[in-house]
Amino acid sequence: MSSLDLLGISKSFGATEVLKNIDIHVSEGEFIALVGPSGCGKSTLLRLISGLDEPTSGDVVLGQHVVNDLTPRERNVAMVFQSYALYPHMNVAENIGFNLRISGVPKAEINQRVADTAAILDLTELLTRKPSQLSGGQRQRVAMGRALVRNPSLFLFDEPLSNLDAKLRVQMREEIKRLHAKVRTTSIYVTHDQIEAMTLADRIVILNEGIIQQVGTPKELYTKPANPFVAGFIGSPSMNLLEGKLTQSGDTIQIELDGGVTLPCPQTAPQSASGRVIIGMRPEHLHLGEAAAGAINITGRLDHVEPTGAQNHLKVKFGKNTITATDNTLQDLASNAEVTLSLPTDKLHIFAN
Amino acid sequence: MSDQALSPAPRSAETSHPPLPETHFIRPPKKRGRRLFNSLQPWLFISPFIIIFCLFTLFPLTFSVYLSFQEWNPVTGLSGMNYVGVQNYVEAYDDPWLWKSLYNTFWLAIVSGVPQHLIAVPVAYLLVYAVRSSLRHVLTATMFIPFITSTVAVALIFYSIYSANTGILNQMLLGASKLPLIGALFAWVPDVMPIKWLTKSDLIKPAIAAVVIWKYTGFNIVIYSAGFVTVPQDVYDAAKVDGCNRLQQFWHVALPMIRPFIFFAMTLTIIGNLQLFEEPFILTSGDTGGVGQAGLTTSYYLYLVGWEWLEMGAAAAISWILFLIIAIATSIHFYFNGRKGMEGNR
Ligand SMILES: Nc1ncnc2c1ncn2[C@@H]1O[C@H](COP(=O)(O)OP(=O)(O)OP(=O)(O)O)[C@@H](O)[C@H]1O
Ligand SMILES: [Mg+2]
Repeated sequence: MSSLDLLGISKSFGATEVLKNIDIHVSEGEFIALVGPSGCGKSTLLRLISGLDEPTSGDVVLGQHVVNDLTPRERNVAMVFQSYALYPHMNVAENIGFNLRISGVPKAEINQRVADTAAILDLTELLTRKPSQLSGGQRQRVAMGRALVRNPSLFLFDEPLSNLDAKLRVQMREEIKRLHAKVRTTSIYVTHDQIEAMTLADRIVILNEGIIQQVGTPKELYTKPANPFVAGFIGSPSMNLLEGKLTQSGDTIQIELDGGVTLPCPQTAPQSASGRVIIGMRPEHLHLGEAAAGAINITGRLDHVEPTGAQNHLKVKFGKNTITATDNTLQDLASNAEVTLSLPTDKLHIFAN
Repeated sequence: MSDQALSPAPRSAETSHPPLPETHFIRPPKKRGRRLFNSLQPWLFISPFIIIFCLFTLFPLTFSVYLSFQEWNPVTGLSGMNYVGVQNYVEAYDDPWLWKSLYNTFWLAIVSGVPQHLIAVPVAYLLVYAVRSSLRHVLTATMFIPFITSTVAVALIFYSIYSANTGILNQMLLGASKLPLIGALFAWVPDVMPIKWLTKSDLIKPAIAAVVIWKYTGFNIVIYSAGFVTVPQDVYDAAKVDGCNRLQQFWHVALPMIRPFIFFAMTLTIIGNLQLFEEPFILTSGDTGGVGQAGLTTSYYLYLVGWEWLEMGAAAAISWILFLIIAIATSIHFYFNGRKGMEGNR
């Protein structure tokens, strides 16, 4: 177990720069979720940390040591590959125990640890099968087992649960959380699933186009997104982002949205935000009906309703935009009806554009 | 339509819509002649193969079975055939040259077969993982050239290389013995000169084996390169993360994964090497298998019996004995390696 520091990591493949100047400090025992859209460089970053690839520039520091020139074996990292990368000629037990075998662990201990890991991952029945005889989700759990059986200084998970059904995913998520609480091995966890990131991680790193957008606790990212990308990326359904500009008339500052609607600007508007801005409103903060003083009221025309069971997502035409609001009261609303939504002023996000 | 939807009929999966009346379907009239043509058509298409196969494979095959129970000198024509029962097989059993040729054949099969694979596997591995692909293609193509070169030409060139007095091999050995540093290693050379590679009975087989190795290793390298290319990069990555060094990656991951290729290449080598003919034939000048029959393989002996001594019946018997031996050797190989070799990673 050790801390991890990435110092100014960049990676290019030929002319394409995939990672740009990545700086992250991960404390010992911390669980970091790495999220970002497809192709933003998450897997590439894990490969650099594991030592499978070399950064074009920058340093990877494990504990106190710069490990740029060390092999994966010397770094002692365990990794779950996005593609599983199981050994097709070995059965499940051999796949899981391979690292231990290479490390010269006694056979009895290997068997014990493989059995324990298989039990956690619900693979006990499958130990003698070859990977080709497993379903996608079973293979993924074997890939997971190959990492979990070890005692590495660092765990790297590349979308380890992406192929499991919803129920199994929740179950595995809890297993990972429990396991991490027990062994407290420093972990980097790549996922597309926000819930996974939010529930598992101590901190989340958001990556886009090879650049870190924000690093913070799940709560920080939700309440104080640093930019529209993060704002739109975290939260489901995603935040309504509208473009506009700040205008001053007399003493009051207003937000003039593109399309001609004007909203009052709350006192909390950042000083820096002047000129063109993007405002953000989370659907779950937009409540049906006019609110008490101090809230922002938005009046629009209901386009359609997307029911999800527990709540309805209202698609409301507002100026030239369509915004989403969640309605927990499940009201029956006529299509094309005029609806009023209210937003507490402190929930309005304003980003400089 | 709307009437049906309103009717309270039970709507299970099968009765979800009422069947259309039979008259609704249009059946094309049956055409008898066309059906006959359709069933004959595939046979017509493969008939060229079948005719050629019967004429040039099936007939000689069965004829050679028949022949192996006859005594026949082809010069006397078909009427000169005499039925002799199993005598040809009995004589073959008592024939010391046949036993000698079988010994030589197996000796050569092993000594010229095993090194091919021991060289080809690591070379192919290095080619695939240490050489960039453009250069690799050039190198593999170069190594493949011996395989596509006429065996007769190859054997003739080696015949001159091995030549005792003028051959380049002996000249090089002599030269090496005069070199300053490594000369000491070759100090024995001048004493034994000229080395008669092809006319000393205990040197003939190694000399033949060297030619066979030279000729077929490139072929195996191509097969094994194709094998190593099929191993996906991410499996190597997983092995690296699991703590394997290059050698362990080769041994624990790459080698087991190309098992089907090893099996295939070994099968070809076994069948090919047990039929070795041209190399020993030319290197021993087509004589009676060289000094002391040291270079006499079974195929070679078969040729002598049939075409030099014109005993077609005996030759047919020997050829069936050789076939049986190859079949047994291949079966043993299949028995021990076949299941793992052919199942691959499925
Ligand atoms: N070996 C390579 N050569 C060239 N480009 C590469 C290579 N590996 C990755 N890339 C590029 O780098 C970018 C980042 O790839 P990466 O696999 O890290 O994405 P990712 O964030 O893991 O995406 P996903 O969520 O889809 O797995 C992609 O645009 C990809 O095309
Ligand atoms: Mg990826």
